[in-house]
Amino acid sequence: MNRRTLSLSVSAVLLSAGLLTQTSGHSQPAPRRIEVHAKRFSYQPNEITVKKGEPVLLVLTAEDVSHGLRFRELNVDIKAKKDQPGQAQFTPERTGDFVGHCSTFCGSGHGSMTLTLHVVE
Amino acid sequence: MANQAASVLLLLAAGLAGCRATPPGKLESGVASFAKHHVLIGGKDQKNPLQANAQTLADGKEAFSHYCVVCHGNDGQNTGVPFADHISPPIPSLASPDVQRYTDGQLKWILDNGIRPSGMPGSKGILSDDELWSIVVYLRHLPPAGSAGTPDIYNH
Repeated sequence: MNRRTLSLSVSAVLLSAGLLTQTSGHSQPAPRRIEVHAKRFSYQPNEITVKKGEPVLLVLTAEDVSHGLRFRELNVDIKAKKDQPGQAQFTPERTGDFVGHCSTFCGSGHGSMTLTLHVVE
Repeated sequence: MANQAASVLLLLAAGLAGCRATPPGKLESGVASFAKHHVLIGGKDQKNPLQANAQTLADGKEAFSHYCVVCHGNDGQNTGVPFADHISPPIPSLASPDVQRYTDGQLKWILDNGIRPSGMPGSKGILSDDELWSIVVYLRHLPPAGSAGTPDIYNH
C-alpha cells in the first residue's frame, strides 16, 4: 500500500466516522402522536400516560367551539378552533401528574375541563 | 272582603317599595363590610400558589376579560359600566381599600363562591382554579382607573 492509498483509506474512515457521528447526534425518535378531542366541557381521553424524556406531539381537535389545553408547569399551550386542530410538541423532563386546563373560554363548564398527564419513568 | 283586598294591595305595594334598589345607608354598609371581612368570607389563610409576574398578570387580565368586565369594567374600577351605581349594593371599585383589605385567599373564596345577595356570582367550575388565582394576581395590580377603556359590550 503506497502512501497515497493509505492516505485515502484513512480519509475515508475518518469521513465515515464523522458522518456516522453526525447522523447519530442529530437523530431523534419520532414524537409519540397523541390525539385529544375536546367537546362540551370535557377532553377525550382525559388521562394520558407518557414517559419522561419521550417526545410527545399532542394534537387537539375542537369538536364544537374553540378550546385550548394548557399545562402551565410544562409551558405547553395549545389552541384549537372548530375544524382547525392545534398541536404542540414537547418532551416532559420530570415525572409527576400534570393537570391541563382549557385555555380558551368556552362557556359555563370551561373551568371544569381538565386532562391529567401522567409522566412516568 | 274589601278590607282584606285593600290590605293585600297595601302589603304588595309596601313589598314592591322595599325592593327598590336604593343605596344602602352608612350603618348597613358598615355592618355588611364587617360581617364580610370577619365572618362570612372564608379562605383567609389560603395562599396564592401563583407568583405575581408578567405572565400570571397577563393571564389574570385575560381571565378577568371573560365576563368579570361586564360588571367591573376592564380596569376593575367600573369604568364604562352604566349600571354600576344603580344596583344595590353598588358595585365596588376593586381597587378600593375595602376590597384590597381582603387576603388573597378571601378574594379567591369570593371568586369561587360569590357574595350572596350582592349579585356577585361564584365562578367555581366556570373558570379553572388556575385562572381564578391569576385573577387574584390581576386584582392586586389593577391598572389606573379609566386607562383600560370601556368593555366592548358597551361600545355598541
